[in-house]
Amino acid sequence: MRDALVYEWYRVTSIRSTYWLVGLTWLFTLAVSAVVAWQLPESGPLAGGREPLSLLVTFGASTGIPPLFTAYMVGIVGVFAMGHEYRHGMVRATLTSVRGRHRVLLAKLAVVALVAVLTTLGCAVISVVVGLSFGVDLPIDGFLWGLVLALVIYTVLFSWAGVAFAAIVRNQTAAVAMLVLIPTLVEQIVRAVVLAIKAASGDPQGQGGITVILRYLPFDAGGQMYTRTSINQLFQFLGYRPFGPVGGGIVFAVFVALLLALAAWLFSRRDA
Amino acid sequence: MALVVAEHLGKQYGAKVAVTDLSFTVRPGTVTGFLGPNGSGKSTTMRLMLGLDRGEGRTTFDGRPFTELRQPLREVGALLEANPFHPTRRARSHLRMLAAANRIPASRVDEVLEIVGLTSVARGRPRKFSLGMGQRLGLAAALLGDPHTLILDEPSNGLDPQGITWLRGLLRSLASEGRAVFVSSHLLQEMAVLADHLVVVGRGRMIANGAVADFTRGSARNHVLVTTPDMSQLGPVLASLGGHAQQSSDGTWAVRGLTSAQVGDAARDAAARVHQLVDVEATLEEAFLDATGADEEFRGHLR
Repeated sequence: MRDALVYEWYRVTSIRSTYWLVGLTWLFTLAVSAVVAWQLPESGPLAGGREPLSLLVTFGASTGIPPLFTAYMVGIVGVFAMGHEYRHGMVRATLTSVRGRHRVLLAKLAVVALVAVLTTLGCAVISVVVGLSFGVDLPIDGFLWGLVLALVIYTVLFSWAGVAFAAIVRNQTAAVAMLVLIPTLVEQIVRAVVLAIKAASGDPQGQGGITVILRYLPFDAGGQMYTRTSINQLFQFLGYRPFGPVGGGIVFAVFVALLLALAAWLFSRRDA
Repeated sequence: MALVVAEHLGKQYGAKVAVTDLSFTVRPGTVTGFLGPNGSGKSTTMRLMLGLDRGEGRTTFDGRPFTELRQPLREVGALLEANPFHPTRRARSHLRMLAAANRIPASRVDEVLEIVGLTSVARGRPRKFSLGMGQRLGLAAALLGDPHTLILDEPSNGLDPQGITWLRGLLRSLASEGRAVFVSSHLLQEMAVLADHLVVVGRGRMIANGAVADFTRGSARNHVLVTTPDMSQLGPVLASLGGHAQQSSDGTWAVRGLTSAQVGDAARDAAARVHQLVDVEATLEEAFLDATGADEEFRGHLR
């Protein structure tokens, strides 16, 4: 396993796209954090405390509105980890250099996870430092550590989903499209349709019913890990009650585990 | 030194049979050429040998399948296709990556770059490489672990004549060191001077397997060239011995099924004058075309 890990580490650190993606993520974090910190009011609930901290560290994703930028960028690193094997015909060179297909896949997951952790921690540090340097009163306590942990777990799972998509479809472009469109488009369409059906039903404000489906939209459920004040609360009058951070995290983790199981099965059975 | 034994290799893509029941041996110290028309299953066979494609049969390298080799590059070097590298990863980084997975020192990377003549572009990015340079980089990767076995699929693709000559010398030299070299090529003249043994396939089936000399010797295109004004006397005698004479457009006769000695003796017995008697041995190309003529997957037509 050590040899596979070393190979994968060399692989990911010897192409420019990794540096571009991580560098752009940190640069974006710096710029967005500076703008947000600059625009925060000097008094009121957003002048300091957990709300601005959440906004800064998640680029506003804690509101449940925008997607988590870091996860998408590292997710592309995940897609490339497997996508490059097929796009550039590397898979045969890899499998004739590293023993065992499962080792290859496990090494990719480990290295992508490491990139995800380092990138996410870097983003958190940048956003907090920028916030503090702008004089925002940010509490450095368990709330922050919990939020960062949630971001790290979500980003790792998201990047693994990228690896799995690329392994399943063996097409880098299609995998990127799936990774971006499923959370931002497909899940939103499903949510809109389900809520519309519920609103038109005889009992629009009743608990459960068709809105139960929404709790299991995997990326949305995973987002509950870092969501603090969610727009989803607006839909609760339609009986939509999303999972909490732990429940949502479990739904997302199970989804990614299933994706990875399918990817591993296909990777071990298919011709290289 | 390793003995490579392939047994009953087979592969189907849906209803199409790509390779069926191929068994052969690649011996150490020899270059074994792998010949077949386009689409005959050569590349598929090589991938089956390395466990890259799922199919039937088994290939062992000194008794072990490829998938059980702990550090594969140290035992089997493979070049399976043109340009198997990321276009923006530097050539040296590509090799270092492969070396790292097999605990091969970085100094060996520089050695193989020197061997294949890419030292000057070691820091270059392969997207700017020609096909020939890409092949050289692929060869460098195959040689990285100083392996006892080399499996090379069309390694001369993209090489210029000087490169092909260099490659021939390199492969002969590697075989002379005791390595087993298994190389596919469609350049028959090249194979004629390079290979000691041949494995010839057509439509995924074994056509011939043995020494190059045996392959050409067994060709139906081998014949005895006879120039005689007395074929009316000689012909019946040749036929009685099992020979078959066919006249060429230049008036000479091609006699098949008999040796030149038998034809000479027959001429004496028939009191026929013979002006010329020459053994004509088929070239590898002729023997190959003879053997694979019906097994061509893709056939063009003259207009």
